[in-house]
Amino acid sequence: MNKRLLAALVGGFALIALAVFGAAAHSSGSASGGTFRIGTSSRIDSLNPYVAFNQDAYNTFEYVYPMLVQYDKSNRHFVPDFATSWKTSNAGKTWTFKTRPHAVWTDGKPLTAKDAAWTINTDIKYAAGGAANAAGLVAHIVKASAPNATTLVVRYKQAPGNVLGQFQQFAILPQHVWSKYTGHKGNDLKTFSNSPLVGAGPFKLVKYSKNDIALFQRNDSFYGEKPKVDGFGLRMFSNEDTLVTALKSHEIDAIEAVPSTAIKTLSKGFNIRSTPGMDQTDFIINSNRRKTSHRELLDPKVKAAMAHAVDRKQIIKVVFLGYAKPASSIIPPATGAWHDRNVKPEKFDLKLANKMLDQAGLKKGSDGIRRANGHKMSYEVITPTDVPSTNRTFQILQPDFRKIGINLTQKALDSTAAFDAMTAPNGKYLKFDLALWDWVGLIDPDFMLSVVTCAQYEGWNDSGYCNPTYDKMYSRQQLTPNQAKRKQLVWKMQKYLYAQKPYIWLAAQDAVWAVAKNWGGLVASPQGPFNSINKLSLTRVHQQ
Amino acid sequence: MKGADYVVKRVLFALLTVFVAITINFVLFRMAPGSAVTNLARVPHATPETRLAIKREFGLDKSKFEQYLIYLRELAHGNLGISFANEQPVSQNLKTALINTIPMVLLGTIFAIVFGTLTGVIAAWRRGTNGEGLSVTTALTFYSMPTHWLGLMLVILFAGILPTGGMSNEFLLNPSFTTHVKDLGEHIALPALTLGLVLYGEYTLIVRSAMLETLGEDYILTARAKGLRPAAILRRHALRNALLPISTLIALSLGYIVAGAILVETVFSWPGIGRAVYDAVLQRDYPMLQGAFLVLTVSVVFFNLVADLLYFRLDPRITE
Repeated sequence: MNKRLLAALVGGFALIALAVFGAAAHSSGSASGGTFRIGTSSRIDSLNPYVAFNQDAYNTFEYVYPMLVQYDKSNRHFVPDFATSWKTSNAGKTWTFKTRPHAVWTDGKPLTAKDAAWTINTDIKYAAGGAANAAGLVAHIVKASAPNATTLVVRYKQAPGNVLGQFQQFAILPQHVWSKYTGHKGNDLKTFSNSPLVGAGPFKLVKYSKNDIALFQRNDSFYGEKPKVDGFGLRMFSNEDTLVTALKSHEIDAIEAVPSTAIKTLSKGFNIRSTPGMDQTDFIINSNRRKTSHRELLDPKVKAAMAHAVDRKQIIKVVFLGYAKPASSIIPPATGAWHDRNVKPEKFDLKLANKMLDQAGLKKGSDGIRRANGHKMSYEVITPTDVPSTNRTFQILQPDFRKIGINLTQKALDSTAAFDAMTAPNGKYLKFDLALWDWVGLIDPDFMLSVVTCAQYEGWNDSGYCNPTYDKMYSRQQLTPNQAKRKQLVWKMQKYLYAQKPYIWLAAQDAVWAVAKNWGGLVASPQGPFNSINKLSLTRVHQQ
Repeated sequence: MKGADYVVKRVLFALLTVFVAITINFVLFRMAPGSAVTNLARVPHATPETRLAIKREFGLDKSKFEQYLIYLRELAHGNLGISFANEQPVSQNLKTALINTIPMVLLGTIFAIVFGTLTGVIAAWRRGTNGEGLSVTTALTFYSMPTHWLGLMLVILFAGILPTGGMSNEFLLNPSFTTHVKDLGEHIALPALTLGLVLYGEYTLIVRSAMLETLGEDYILTARAKGLRPAAILRRHALRNALLPISTLIALSLGYIVAGAILVETVFSWPGIGRAVYDAVLQRDYPMLQGAFLVLTVSVVFFNLVADLLYFRLDPRITE
């Protein structure tokens, strides 16, 4: 039976569908610049910045909301967004931003520095409640004020080191919309559906259907560079095979993150672009000094030996089909100067690993498994089921670890259960030994450096690592305004963590995306073409 | 009065079942490893105070029993709660998901009921012929196919002809009413067909089995001996008496419509209730799970009640 005949049969079946499906005509804008259609296997989980968690939600906020600053095309330096210039005074404790004049929100109301000041002050006021999601971005701020429509003054307790990095992620909200939702001690901020969304970015959201579609139209009143397209859409797929088929069938124009297995197939008819990405896989070693069992895993020598049993080349070849680089540091290479290139991945050398373990006095038993403190060096490795790469990675690690006398067994759990098992009991990190996971960092190193601090216990901390010396270094980098000095400190912290090894870093994945050949102008970034780094990519995309 | 007693008993039993299910739903999800707190408290740079505030906000700092009492009280007021994941009312989340799911699952189920019953009856009536062999083999083949695999095969087969996923083409610029309706039909075709084909196999096999049993009864032999036309024997004597198991199966299928079809919805990126429940499980979104399973429970119990009452109508011996 040929495809046409089958289609006719199915078409007939579809006619029945029409009887049960209510229909209403709708529109999605004019046609001159076209609509750029992106497919994603992720999704926008919420349109509310106080609730959203997924990266695609933050990418959306980048394009619909004003931010004070953004990164340039190289993803290295800060350039104006809503703020046109900025200066510091009072020994770095006061930051003054000049903002765009005559800017407007999509509902026609004026967008001024007062909106920015209100958003900052609201986030400070409700940091322990409704605005917890944004609390980190306003850390150390005392107060913001707007002496006039184009001046924003932000006062800090101490001179901070990452002001622009924080404001690059900070969505300015329209005061006239959001000020109605500060009731119940700010908790109403979280229950507001934010629909219709009033923004002021290069695009306005015209349609959003959860787990399905988000449709954006060019905002002609945008204060900055105007988009070349009429709009763009983000179609959310729950299955990677259908996502790839949709691109091949020209139902969409681009895939924001191409599954490794589809790269070869798509390279024939589409432009494949890749760049070092922010996603790094890691082998977590519970480093809580208070853990009562398997304490040999706290010994840096044992950790170092384990690192030499990791075959990163094989992991990259098998798990990522070559689209990754060996990882070595908590700060990925894609962050540029923040990554310390002197921190090299440990060499895969089973002989050396065995020698190191022998020297540590961990003798092998007759079964080939080493003994430590009277027990077998046999450990469970927790793997989250929604990070598929961890399965294959475990399969590569297990036989190599067996060769150095360490027996690994896999315990696959969904993310929630996995994190719960790692923090058990009650956030004390006492029970787990090892886990495999990944981290997606930001360009500014602050966030990644924070995940191993004591303050992040039960929060982002997934290694049980808590070290006052490290925490002091972390606070110091936060309060070092001189970026060259801050970089030195960040490099020192990377070396420190490399030696302490709460993580053995495995692979830094490339960001790979596919685009139909009739589209050009996308700006590369470690987060792919649809990102929260700047507003450039979808502003410049065009048909060619 | 026997009939009235039967109806009252059935209704009371249905209400009791719903109450028990409500309690089990509450306990079951909280027994899963990991908790809602794990997810909720993971906000960037959250301080211990922030984490505690979040727990308080959702009432997760209270004992399980207190949470249960609050849940029952709110439920009595018709309040299903607020979703932990997106902070929207559960009733609103469920409504959106159900509006998306019901047309697709209903269409697939109707397809299965119509074609499954038809092929089941034919297979039983033509017992021993090639027609029966073909019908049973086809039914078994579809019945044994993994749903997601069949869905993916259909996607590959119809690539470029029918859409691979989603509910409609939102990128269509100012479509006419006809174009939009055609677009909706094209989008619903493959997911509904996938579901329909898998269910169809089940219907064929059960209808055939029920019909074979009835066709072996003495009264069928008597009807034949009396010289009744085959069509009359089939319709008035065989099919009518085989309706009991068939109506149970139909009632169960209709009851499960609100559960969606998680595999089909995942393959075809259909934003329905199945995927919503799956997401809620991963996020330990207790209010959403409780709400979804309450709707499912009420639906299944309601359609079972309908089936029970239908039995009463179809077979008056039940009350004796």
